[in-house]
Amino acid sequence: MTKLFNSQETMVDDMIDGFVSAFPQVERGKIDPRVVVRSRARKNPDEKVTMLIGNGSGHEPIAMGFVGEGLLDANVVGDVFAAPSADLILDGIREVNGAAGTLLLISQHSGDVINGRAAIMLAEDEELNVRGLLMYDDVASAPPERRQDRRGAPGTMFIYKILGAAAEAGLELNGLVALGEAVRDRTVSLSAAISPGISPLTGKPMFKLPEGEIFIGMGVHGEPGAGRMPHGPVGKLVRTIVDKLLEDRPIAEGGRAAVIINGMGGTTLMELYTIWNETSKALAAQGVEAIAPMVGSFVTTQEMGGFSISLLEPTDQMLAYWCEPSDSPAFPAISLLTQEAKS
Amino acid sequence: MTVAQQYFTRLLAAIEARKDELDALDAALGDGDHGTTMLRGLTKAAQAESGMGAKAFMRASGGAAGTLFGLVLIAIERHLISDADLPSELALAEARICDLGQVKPGDKSMIDALSPAVAAFNGGNLDAAIEAARQGCQATIALDARRGRAQYVEGKGRGHQDPGATSILILFEVLRETRESQ
Repeated sequence: MTKLFNSQETMVDDMIDGFVSAFPQVERGKIDPRVVVRSRARKNPDEKVTMLIGNGSGHEPIAMGFVGEGLLDANVVGDVFAAPSADLILDGIREVNGAAGTLLLISQHSGDVINGRAAIMLAEDEELNVRGLLMYDDVASAPPERRQDRRGAPGTMFIYKILGAAAEAGLELNGLVALGEAVRDRTVSLSAAISPGISPLTGKPMFKLPEGEIFIGMGVHGEPGAGRMPHGPVGKLVRTIVDKLLEDRPIAEGGRAAVIINGMGGTTLMELYTIWNETSKALAAQGVEAIAPMVGSFVTTQEMGGFSISLLEPTDQMLAYWCEPSDSPAFPAISLLTQEAKS
Repeated sequence: MTVAQQYFTRLLAAIEARKDELDALDAALGDGDHGTTMLRGLTKAAQAESGMGAKAFMRASGGAAGTLFGLVLIAIERHLISDADLPSELALAEARICDLGQVKPGDKSMIDALSPAVAAFNGGNLDAAIEAARQGCQATIALDARRGRAQYVEGKGRGHQDPGATSILILFEVLRETRESQ
């Protein structure tokens, strides 16, 4: 399949050039051009904790789309589907670090963990004040008793947003790590895939799926999942996913769940709004109110077909940070949307 | 050219000469690209400014192997640039590699050459460290792989010398060669 690039050698940098020139909130780093940093509303890094993440490209808008006020201070952009190297992440830390310290978010995938942790070690050699936070939420990748082995999935966006707002409000580094761990412990995600993405490097599908079946819990590169279902009305699929999520991490009747419906790149908004509606109904059927939704394609793998549902049972404080306005190229406005707020 | 830059230039030549051998060792255990990966990283390291060689290696070689070998190269480069104490720099790299890679001696990895070398370094004797690395490297032939892709290969790579351990030995041999040329 033909994709619309100039060349494999330049595709990532061509994209970054376009991205930073399209949006006023971002620019290339001064130490390393493979780092995208905030271009405005930057606070003094001796006073505000700075926060960044590194990731392979090919999954846009995450995470460069979330650089901006109330969110990330920087994103370290790796090659296509490849974790950025430790020295590159170190450059990202240097771009934003000040006396208030820096939090490196790490979505749990092996290359990201090794390189991210190595970057923190190298930053410590330079006596920079840095901490890391491992993020994981994909219930298909390990059972509840080994939740610390789970992969990072779109539920990690709760952490970006809530910590971003908290850092902006002045929370210090250790407080941010504790808040991030608390959000992580209250977040679960599960995906359903129907078709693979096409690799920009090979022009070929990244894995094969039989027609007519839906794969629950499959990783974005085709990692094996939790099960399969025949195609049918999406409501039934959503109920299955919501029930698995609540089984994994129950929410008491009368409780609330903030929701992320994430499209993988090849699933339309027409479908995603339907999926949100079904999610809200499936939660209501279990006595849980679905609130403050984020609906759209944010963590993508090219034109991969499918979606994930992420649930966070928030504290009032988490919910306030989640709904706090932010200003980045791609993070949407989140409305509380409770029954009380609507009536 | 600084002594650190000379080191990377010599190392590039040494790995280039043995790339096919390293790829073949890796083919018995994994994806068969260890020599190619090392060569890609060292090509950039040899072109880098003085003091930036190991980081250039990390960036160009990519993946976990680039990071883990990069930590050893950072130790050697710091020693060559700023006269940092080599045994303690290498001990730090060893501890970090074991932590990051979740690997320990006997798993059939680069650590099986690095750990004995660090232990034999007492008093900074590079010859003793190289000899220990050589023996550790040979001892990997009889080991079963317990980490990485090789653990899933039929026979767990037994009978094949570990390519990562082999590269560690080369790193130390080239360091001696660089010192002797001064």
